[in-house]
Amino acid sequence: MNYPVWDLTTFGGGFFIALIAVVHVLVAHFAVGGGLFLVSLESKAYRDEDPALLEYVKKHSKFFLLLTMVFGGMTGVGIWWTISLLNPAATSSLIHIFVFGWAAEWVFFLTEIVALFIYYYTFGRMDRKKHLIIGWLYFFSAWMSLFIINGIIDFMLSPGAWLENRDFWSGFFNPTFWPALTFRTGLSLVLCGVFGFVTAAFVKEEQLRTRLMRTCAKWVAIPFVLMLLGGGWYIYSLPGTVSHLIFEHSPEMTFYLRTLAWATPVFFVASMFMALKLPNSLQKVLCFGVVGIALIYFGAFEFVREGGRRPYIIYEYMYSNQVFVDDVPGIQQAGFLPAAKWTQHHEITKDNVHAAGKDLFKFQCTACHSVGGPLNDMQPLVEKYSNIFGMDSKLDGLGKLNTYMPPFMGTRAERWALASYIVKEFNDSSAETGNLSVADQDLPIQIPPFDKDKDEYVLLAWSTLGMKGISDSSERWMMLPPGTSIYAQLIKRGDSPQIVTRAVELRYEIDPEFRTPQDKVAFWKQAEKLFGKQLEPGIGLAGMGMAGTMRLDAEHNAFVAAKIPVVPYPASGGFNPYPLMTITAHAIDSGKELARTLVVAPATTEMGCKNCHGGDWGVADVAGFTVATGEDILAAHDKNSATNLLEQARSGQPVLCQSCHADPALGAAGKEGILNFSASIHGWHANFLTERDTAVACAACHATSTDGATQCFRSHHAQFMDCSNCHGTLEDHALTLLLHEQQQGKPRAERLMEHLHSRNVEEIAQIKSRAPWGQQPDCLTCHTDFGMGMSMDAFNRWTADEKALYRKRHDQMGAVMCAACHSSQHALYQASFNRLGAQRDSIQPLQYQGNNRPIGNDCTVCHTVQPEFEGHHPNSLRN
Amino acid sequence: MPNAALIPTPDAIPVAWGWFYVLLMLTFLLHLLVMNAMLGGGIIALLSSLRRSEQNTLLSKEFSYKWPYTIAIAVNLGVAPLLFIQVLYGQFIYSSSILMAAWWLSIIVMLILAYYGAYIYTFKFDTLGSLRSCMAGFSVALLLCIAFLFSNNMTLMLRPESWSVYFTNASGSFLNTADPTLIPRYLHFVIGAVAVAGLYLALIGHFNFVKSKANPQMLIEQGMRYFTIATAISVVLGLWFLIALPKNIMMLLMGGSAFGTVLLVLGLVLTFVALYLGHKRRVIKSSVVTLLLLVVMVLMRDLVRTGSLAPYFSLSDLQVIPEYSPLIFFLVIFAAGLALVAYMLRLALECRKEVK
Repeated sequence: MNYPVWDLTTFGGGFFIALIAVVHVLVAHFAVGGGLFLVSLESKAYRDEDPALLEYVKKHSKFFLLLTMVFGGMTGVGIWWTISLLNPAATSSLIHIFVFGWAAEWVFFLTEIVALFIYYYTFGRMDRKKHLIIGWLYFFSAWMSLFIINGIIDFMLSPGAWLENRDFWSGFFNPTFWPALTFRTGLSLVLCGVFGFVTAAFVKEEQLRTRLMRTCAKWVAIPFVLMLLGGGWYIYSLPGTVSHLIFEHSPEMTFYLRTLAWATPVFFVASMFMALKLPNSLQKVLCFGVVGIALIYFGAFEFVREGGRRPYIIYEYMYSNQVFVDDVPGIQQAGFLPAAKWTQHHEITKDNVHAAGKDLFKFQCTACHSVGGPLNDMQPLVEKYSNIFGMDSKLDGLGKLNTYMPPFMGTRAERWALASYIVKEFNDSSAETGNLSVADQDLPIQIPPFDKDKDEYVLLAWSTLGMKGISDSSERWMMLPPGTSIYAQLIKRGDSPQIVTRAVELRYEIDPEFRTPQDKVAFWKQAEKLFGKQLEPGIGLAGMGMAGTMRLDAEHNAFVAAKIPVVPYPASGGFNPYPLMTITAHAIDSGKELARTLVVAPATTEMGCKNCHGGDWGVADVAGFTVATGEDILAAHDKNSATNLLEQARSGQPVLCQSCHADPALGAAGKEGILNFSASIHGWHANFLTERDTAVACAACHATSTDGATQCFRSHHAQFMDCSNCHGTLEDHALTLLLHEQQQGKPRAERLMEHLHSRNVEEIAQIKSRAPWGQQPDCLTCHTDFGMGMSMDAFNRWTADEKALYRKRHDQMGAVMCAACHSSQHALYQASFNRLGAQRDSIQPLQYQGNNRPIGNDCTVCHTVQPEFEGHHPNSLRN
Repeated sequence: MPNAALIPTPDAIPVAWGWFYVLLMLTFLLHLLVMNAMLGGGIIALLSSLRRSEQNTLLSKEFSYKWPYTIAIAVNLGVAPLLFIQVLYGQFIYSSSILMAAWWLSIIVMLILAYYGAYIYTFKFDTLGSLRSCMAGFSVALLLCIAFLFSNNMTLMLRPESWSVYFTNASGSFLNTADPTLIPRYLHFVIGAVAVAGLYLALIGHFNFVKSKANPQMLIEQGMRYFTIATAISVVLGLWFLIALPKNIMMLLMGGSAFGTVLLVLGLVLTFVALYLGHKRRVIKSSVVTLLLLVVMVLMRDLVRTGSLAPYFSLSDLQVIPEYSPLIFFLVIFAAGLALVAYMLRLALECRKEVK
């Protein structure tokens, strides 16, 4: 932000520095070790009076001069040139911090040049002893160059105490100085042997050539040990955060680490192979092969070292994109652009969003990302973001969970501008969100008849969840299988109404349009692989199909149609998350139908995963998963948690999240130490959705959007509340779940909690943890003594256990279940906000009492005589 | 002060700016000497090889022996002033370099090619035959391009007022061609390099550091001729450069600043003395006067820089966070390094004598 940024696009992302650095460092290390090689062989030639060897040394010194002095020397200057163009802020810092280090290095560079020229030009003419002195002085100067540059390079990786005391010597002799020096010294000696092969292979005299090949092989073999020991020491002395990033957290490192893993032994073996008596023609080819392997080996090492420093250019002092770490809090507060010098857009207006976004991209992204180029190409990384919301969320999460990237630096408006620029520029889209605005419908409903004077039974039915989400993505992966459960209670009307559970049979039957879900989703093809159960098409995980007899749940005096695999796809096409189910009660002995009602059997596939994970809606442009979305989710999991799920899924074994992540909703125990599913999925994604309006944050994933195709929150509460009133903001919601996992001794929760800040309470310590599904908001928090709700803050007071859940509770007589009269959570009567029609969620109140209020609004629905006591709960007779 | 807001905030320096100033002036002077010998020598070698007479061939051959290490030392001695200028004026030179980044980076490629070209010219001098001038021309052309790019950057860093071009061109392809000082400055330096290189050849002849079969006297004669003619031309170019400067800067050298005016007058006097001595073929005296002249020119060049940047920045603005031990460390290394170089050169010279 302090300096202009060279707009490189294709060759951005540090391409030039990678190009020049890898070749330079190889030659530069050779320049160090080569000095020792020359004087050692020269001494030997003198000792043995071996003119042939001496002649070889002279020729090798010419090769050495041309390679190291010209190419090595000039590319060394080239690195400096390049870094000052690509990262002037860091270059300036290094120059200013270590100016006298650089100046001393320059002196050694000078003595190195003078020594090498004299060595070469006086070869054979100078007194032997003096010539050797010149050779030794060359080696000394070259090694001192390494000594100094090593201090500065490793300072960038591990500044150590310098961060506190700003002392030149602390920075120079930093924690990795000595191990890196050992490693590099070993490497520089190894490289003498490597380049020695090249000149030796072209020696005409066979005996000398063979001798030299063996000498060079020894020069590789012996310092190889020093190099490996130095390398090990280097790794050992890396700061914990660096080695953690390299070996555990940075997926990009895997490639380079694997390369190192195979290149190291291959490098050694290939060099030893050169010692064998080989045909000269083969030696002339293989010698370049060994140089190639050395280049790969060292290139991989350099990429790991550079990568380990991420997201910094100078560790914990300056980010890769030239922003000082200390400046970030101020930037987050006041914005990036106001402080940036080389922009014309210091403030975001409605007219300059794209241009400002472009500048933010240039200043914050291009240091590491190219556009369509070979290094860290931005194109494939962002192509899944077809809407600004998704991209903005990704930026929100940067640098939090994966520490190899810096955080986005700037205000919300700046972040949005950057996201908008990326989405427009790379994906040619201006869509703000990934969801279409869906119009309300009014699908016709035939309210079943009820004759208050004649009918003897009242049949009440409801779904256990206000909405059942389904991930119809089972080709690759699944987190929510179909399974809508419907409860029903049959009440015999009378002066003292009775719950009937004996001698009756309750039957259920889904709307015929929804009878064959197997035609719509691939669940049954994959069920065995996912759940280890062979399921007949159309049969759910509890063994029940789309029509049948309900089972008695004696504990709750109710009947249940459990886990009916309802999918929101009618046979005639389209999307309908509120299919109707007919429930009938029959006398077992006579078979006579005693009562009949209709109930919504909700199921939705409107889940916004694709907003950030790419892909399209699978069905009718409003819901459903595509394979692309699922694959990206698996790829993201693989990248972030070092799994191999995508490959597994593609090879035919789809992934069930709950096979590792425990989930009471599925009865899944999960794996030891791994976060439960709810904590994990909310905790992870909350980091990308901070500080949002609840309506936005929850609807990003769940079917809660008020203009979406589902709008699952459809009770009267929706008029004045949103998800956060009961569940807390997304951050708080996630924190309740994560705290529970932390208390269960799962340290992984802390990584997800680190960047989450409570918005409902002052500090995290005030948050009460909760177990997913087992502990939920309690209606009585606001509705004290069943009265009118006097507050709208139910967060942080959870039901004690599963038994206390609304969906499991009865009235105070233990007879009628709460939901029988009040309907499902999220669709509590009055539930007039169903997008498919205002009556759809109120069929039973309309059937039995002619209004959409809770059942019992007119006591005579069940009670033939008006009761005088509040038998169900206090305040039940208020009307 | 147009575009003052673009100028980056400089980093703090560890010792008083005067240290860096002295080191910058000193190392730049050393760089200038060797760089002139390299570039001007290349031009003279090229011109000589084009003329094809035996003496001219010998002259270009003699220079060919010197060329590779002259390049190496010129580059090395360029590193130090570039380091110190980044310490003192980093906020200006990084910015201007980025405006012309593509050109600036191309210097490295050109330098490597020019360097290898010089080696081919040296090692294959006899076998190249008539291709010799092509080879020398190749390297000289590249070195001239590099010089032109340096002139661009050194002038562009002084003109923040032209930096807003970044908002229309951030691709690094900008050149400071609209600056009226660019061409005279460039030509002044190139021709000046020929003059110094002429002197260099004359000194080789004078001290008989001749490796080829060239006649030392011929080297002196030819070298001093190049020196005199090039110096005469550079007087004209220097005046062009002077009047091309913005008026306020020009006036610094013409009455506006006593120091500047003294420098200009001194420079002119020394130039005419050098011309006279050159004409008389007085090698050593010409060299001494030229060295003094170069000191004066380096100081004038710096005055132009400080004058141009005065509205934006002064060296005393730099924050100093004192830390002197690294300076002492450097000075010790510097002294030891110079002693080492002297020792090695002595061994080399002894060897030369031994061979003779």
